[in-house]
Amino acid sequence: MASNQTTYKNLTPAQPLDKKTLNKMVWRSCNLQGSFNYERMQANGWLYSILPGLEKIHTDKDDLSASMQHNLEFFNTHPFLVTFVMGIVLSLEQQKADINMIRSVRVAAMGPLGGIGDAIFWFTLVPIAAGIGSNMAIQGSFAGPILFLAVFNAVQFGVRFFLMGWSYELGTKAIEVLTRNAKEFTRAASMLGVFVVGALTSNYGGTTVTLEIANGEAPIVVQNILDGVLPKMIPLFLTLLLFFLLKKKGWTPVKCIVLLLVIGILGALVGLF
Amino acid sequence: MSFNAIQIILVFVVAFIAAIDQFDFLESLYQPIVTGAVIGLILGDVTTGLVVGGTYQLMTIGNMPVGGAQPPNAVIGGIMAAVFAIASGLEVEAAVGLAVPFALIGQYMVTLLFTVMSPIMSVADKMAEKADTKGIVRLNWLAMIALGALFAVVCTIGLIGGAAAGDALTAFFDKVPWLMTGLSAAGGMMRFVGFATLLRIMLSNDLWGIYFAGFAVATVIGYVPGLGGSCLILVAFIGIAMALYDFQTRVAMKSAGVGSNGGDEDGI
Repeated sequence: MASNQTTYKNLTPAQPLDKKTLNKMVWRSCNLQGSFNYERMQANGWLYSILPGLEKIHTDKDDLSASMQHNLEFFNTHPFLVTFVMGIVLSLEQQKADINMIRSVRVAAMGPLGGIGDAIFWFTLVPIAAGIGSNMAIQGSFAGPILFLAVFNAVQFGVRFFLMGWSYELGTKAIEVLTRNAKEFTRAASMLGVFVVGALTSNYGGTTVTLEIANGEAPIVVQNILDGVLPKMIPLFLTLLLFFLLKKKGWTPVKCIVLLLVIGILGALVGLF
Repeated sequence: MSFNAIQIILVFVVAFIAAIDQFDFLESLYQPIVTGAVIGLILGDVTTGLVVGGTYQLMTIGNMPVGGAQPPNAVIGGIMAAVFAIASGLEVEAAVGLAVPFALIGQYMVTLLFTVMSPIMSVADKMAEKADTKGIVRLNWLAMIALGALFAVVCTIGLIGGAAAGDALTAFFDKVPWLMTGLSAAGGMMRFVGFATLLRIMLSNDLWGIYFAGFAVATVIGYVPGLGGSCLILVAFIGIAMALYDFQTRVAMKSAGVGSNGGDEDGI
């Protein structure tokens, strides 16, 4: 469980991260989705990617632990644009910003990048590069796959390295203004973060029921009725239920996961899903 | 056509790397256009490999893994289609058809692994508590190796057992349809645990309205045809406007001295 510590013990800003450490983290970011899972998605891969920086920044073991714990919370963004979030978060960690501020900035930044990255990479770059390459391959040319790999990876790594350097600098420059109004900024970033989580509840929430009630010629489709009351009602209800169980009943995430597994399997058995 | 031991080992290695690559590494080596050519090289028929790879690639464009959905797995699909086309001299379309059961198995494997990895995150939490950085690194690599091994085994079974093995494998899952349906339904719901954990910390009582506003905006945009892909960008525009306005107002209030004599400012 996340600790309740909200400030680091050692508040002296660490040495700025050198180019070598930043580059090392860019390479690590390739394995962002290594331990992808349904609960926290890229969280463990995210922590894995920024660890070289965190270890340099937090020489105090308790601070390193606190930082690792909050960086293991739900995380999901576009795998090729993740270095943008890394740069900003690392600049805040380096300045020993308030943990709530770091968390809010992380959540606020990760959501929109997913949509931007899909548009750039999956809807534009892959169709063009793989489309041209495929037609060459179908004509028997080995240059097809090579051209695809060269173009795709040149863009990918150009973006990864550029975003890391740029956003780290951006965060470092902005930090002075931000810490002067730290309380106001943390609140504004929390607002944006909570707004984004609300949007994710709907946007990532694909849970629907396929249950139909027999009614002669026209069976009653339960999902249509639910959508008529409030679309995405099930994702919203489940999130609020789990929030209640975690916060008020003190459930652990694992207990919640087991509950969902039981609901999923039992639901599939009775034809709910 | 039978394969020698070296070919089988090489296909195992290619499947292992491609499986991991679909989420990590270069995230491009796994594409059928690449695996088709490589499988062609290994099995001694580069031209067929290129043609199958290119054809399968064109079929999968527009079927990208966007937003966490899991379509029948193109990694195993691409590899097995190339294998079948070369081994049995089939037309590309027929080879792709024979590969579909394997692509389905691949999709099941991914669902299983992502489900099993969810409760394992509590192990990662324990590592973070002890600042065990090596443990986090090890966990990330172990999960990648597990995915690679699962896919490599499925492809090797297909290489040795032929197309019949694919039907035998899916037959098991067909007998227990509730298992995979239930697991994918549960998997789709587990992200709500992640959201709830974030909210547990971030959601102070005065921000409830903001949470519902975000939900409402995304739901409305999501229902507009054609805006699905840009939903979160539009959400960000609105959210940033709101947050900036709040920030500027509060900073202005602070510099004007308003609220400095309020009772709730002693919080920090």
